[in-house]
Amino acid sequence: MPVVDLTGAVVLGAALLLTAVVAWWLRTRSGAVRTTGGATVREVEVLRGLGVRPEDADLTVVQFATAFCAPCRATKARLTQLQTRHPGLAAVHVDAESELDAVRALDVRRTPTLFYLDRSGALLGRSSGAPRPDELAALVAAHAPAQGHV
Amino acid sequence: MTPPRQVDVRGPRFGAWVTTVVLAVVLLTGSGWLLAAQAVVFAVGAFAGLRHAPYGVLFRTLVAPRLGPVRETEDEAPPRFAQLVGFGFALVGTLGYLTGAPVVGAVATGLALVAALLNAAVGFCLGCELYLIVRRARPARSH
Repeated sequence: MPVVDLTGAVVLGAALLLTAVVAWWLRTRSGAVRTTGGATVREVEVLRGLGVRPEDADLTVVQFATAFCAPCRATKARLTQLQTRHPGLAAVHVDAESELDAVRALDVRRTPTLFYLDRSGALLGRSSGAPRPDELAALVAAHAPAQGHV
Repeated sequence: MTPPRQVDVRGPRFGAWVTTVVLAVVLLTGSGWLLAAQAVVFAVGAFAGLRHAPYGVLFRTLVAPRLGPVRETEDEAPPRFAQLVGFGFALVGTLGYLTGAPVVGAVATGLALVAALLNAAVGFCLGCELYLIVRRARPARSH
């Protein structure tokens, strides 16, 4: 009967603890919309450079995605679903890998990362990780009224 | 162009649980050879495709028939990329254990275990998240 490897046992304990911390962080923090105070003009210009036209919709959501990103697909589907009830919502999907200059300029680290722009072209906020469904729905409802409530 | 290959979402989740258990046993026994075997399992999934991945085959033949019909499928690209990331960690860990650097072996195994357990328990794909950070660190391609 081999003796338990002490180093390995310590590492296993640390790995389980680290997993719990990351899982907690994902549950509580990931995907939350952060308002971007201060100088956001440059960021909006970078987004415009990708063909984003915020003046065409009440709320424009720009999603940076990669082929390896399962939550991006779920988020895209959720946005498409929201668009049926909120005609003022526009969604732009950017392949992060083919727009690496923009990814660096906007400091996009994770996918999905989303940017939220109102009709005036102001950046309302950004979020990393799949957005929380209720928070996303509330943000959309606040800026792009549901059909029939206009 | 062939359409992207789809897999039952429960397959990679099951594989992640098996991987977690195997990696925990590697840590507790300090067995470089067991980690080498897991590295081969990762390599098959990453390079030959998930339909050949050993734990995927195990899932389809033994587990799936008891679970009922497939409810949800996903593109195999994200979980396949995760296998590649797992292979990287397992390779480093195996070299560590087998060349007399057990701390390197244990730390690499521990990191792979974190990724596997996150995938198994909360469906989070760490390799997929890290992909863009790795990709953007490289110099921009000329257009």
